[in-house]
Amino acid sequence: MEENSFVKDMTKQEPSKPKRWQNYSAENSPQAWLYLLPALIIIGVFNVFPLIRTFIMSMQTGKTLNSMHFGGFKNFEIILRDPKFHIAIFNTVTYAIVVVPVGLIISMLIATTIYTKIKNKTVFETIFFIPYLTSVIAIGIVFRYLFNGDYGFINYFLSWFGIGPINFLDDPNMSITTLIIFGIWSGLAFNIIILLSGLRNINENYYKVADMFGATKMEQFKRITLPQMIPIITFLSMVNFINAFKVYAQVYSLFGGKAGIANSATTGVFYIFNKFYVDFKYGQGMAAAVILFLLILTFTFIQNFVLKRISR
Amino acid sequence: MISIANLRKVYEDNGYEALKSIDLNIKEGDLVCLLGPSGCGKTTILNLLAGLLDPTSGDIKFDNVSVVNKHPKDRNIGLVFQNYALYPHMTVMENVMFPLTVGNKKTKKSKAKEIAQKYMKITNITELADKKPGNMSGGQQQRVAITRALVQNPKVLLLDEPLSNLDARLRLKIREEIRRLVKEIGITTIFVTHDQEEALSISDKIVIMDQGIVQQYDIPQNLYLEPANLFVAKFMGNPIINIFEMKKEEDYLKGSDFSIKLDKLDKTRVKDDFNKSKYIVGIRPEYFKLTTPSLFNAEIETVELIGKDRIVNFTINGEHSKAITDINDKVKENEIVGFDIEYDKIYIFEEDGRRVY
Repeated sequence: MEENSFVKDMTKQEPSKPKRWQNYSAENSPQAWLYLLPALIIIGVFNVFPLIRTFIMSMQTGKTLNSMHFGGFKNFEIILRDPKFHIAIFNTVTYAIVVVPVGLIISMLIATTIYTKIKNKTVFETIFFIPYLTSVIAIGIVFRYLFNGDYGFINYFLSWFGIGPINFLDDPNMSITTLIIFGIWSGLAFNIIILLSGLRNINENYYKVADMFGATKMEQFKRITLPQMIPIITFLSMVNFINAFKVYAQVYSLFGGKAGIANSATTGVFYIFNKFYVDFKYGQGMAAAVILFLLILTFTFIQNFVLKRISR
Repeated sequence: MISIANLRKVYEDNGYEALKSIDLNIKEGDLVCLLGPSGCGKTTILNLLAGLLDPTSGDIKFDNVSVVNKHPKDRNIGLVFQNYALYPHMTVMENVMFPLTVGNKKTKKSKAKEIAQKYMKITNITELADKKPGNMSGGQQQRVAITRALVQNPKVLLLDEPLSNLDARLRLKIREEIRRLVKEIGITTIFVTHDQEEALSISDKIVIMDQGIVQQYDIPQNLYLEPANLFVAKFMGNPIINIFEMKKEEDYLKGSDFSIKLDKLDKTRVKDDFNKSKYIVGIRPEYFKLTTPSLFNAEIETVELIGKDRIVNFTINGEHSKAITDINDKVKENEIVGFDIEYDKIYIFEEDGRRVY
């Protein structure tokens, strides 16, 4: 017969130790690890291992993947001195710094408009969400036509106002601007959906009360909506920043598989990809990946810190 | 102060007629309660007064000026919602100052703070100034919400079920506090509740409503002592009034177990001739008397002891009935007891609910 541990302590006799796997405990059940095991294995193989492997490879040099050997920080030195890498990082940071805030502001505008002014909300929600369901590559190809210097719709539209034609795709000085426009657009769908769900969660009575006190719509937005939305905006800007730093598919599809004319729109991930599959410099590619990883990490921390300050 | 005339409200989305035709006059400085079962239209009236709904027809006047087409902010009202709707991201001080820092009632920050502090002193929430609503009890939140509604110095205060989110003990305390507060400030207050005890204890006058119609608008004690119709008689009082359907035969209202001789009624209370064939008699539990000789005998089914009273249950005239007796009357279950009624305290209604006695 099993006795509970309290009684055992009192009597100071220790017969057979209780079998930990069979005893019930409300707060401690080691069996749980058994159920977690499949998930842990998958995470280990597909998430943790590649990460560690990246760090290891970034320290290795060699011509083929099978003959890599330890090379210290040599890869990092090469990468950090590479002017192409500087351009890539500069482009990525510019892209992130413009796309994220501008994208969020536009999304917020659209979301509040849909939420407050429009009757058939679900229809508009659907319309705005459809781009999210479509592949970036497909949309990028459509945008290639829209941006086209000769027959593109955007230039046609701008010509009404006497602007252009602008050579969006084939001018090295325009590549990043074009990429930013496309980047903002492709981020809208997700942002709007998340923001709308946030807006829906704000108690309607907050606005009724404010209305009764005579608060204007602008005041209501600034003093009620915005503070209530801070957690969601924080989440979105974090996700958006991380995604912006990893921008690749947008570049690939917009410039037909290249990094813009004369590589003018090379981004961090594009650089890594080229190092790996074009130059076959595996170690250097991995070193660049590690640097990008650290960069994202730092930015995320800074941003988190700043947003926490603001919301206080 | 407030006059409501022929007010009707039909909800457009489902065609539900919440208010049929409401006429009400509320005196300045009065504390008036809108009382009724759910769906009776009391909250609709409050929302119409606040300007959160448009009336289908009819008029609402504040000080002889129609407010129907005015924006809520121009009506000079303070509204407190059932769930208070305090802004969770603001401290108590910021919440209370909010009405003074927006719209065209915007005042200088220092001045706004001064006013806020003045009202917070009246409502006893000065020490909560830096707390956020999430960290406060229901009673404290309630006081903050009322304070916020008062800082713009409105002429009318509207409270929507102000006590329903509080526990029983706090309810007693807060309802006294609300009465003290609004009387101290002298503001006209209208509040909505479905709890008759709450209404009776704090109101100057009560509007009792059912099915979109004002059933009676009177001082609290009259609702109990002089109900205008069958609905009011049934709604007010606990335990609920005993109701008996009786046939009129010659000089009697006949029931299967006991009958009422019309001669015994108090002539001064008779409002109309007894010329119908059927009547409904209402007898409050406290007006059954234990006596001999008795009007009828009944077997006691169960006895409940409630404080100083003993509630006895029995079946008479085919109706399950209750009587309140003194705790000293030692009535036991299954005992057969003789009852009489106090003729000058019973009510008689026609079938449509109109009171005739």
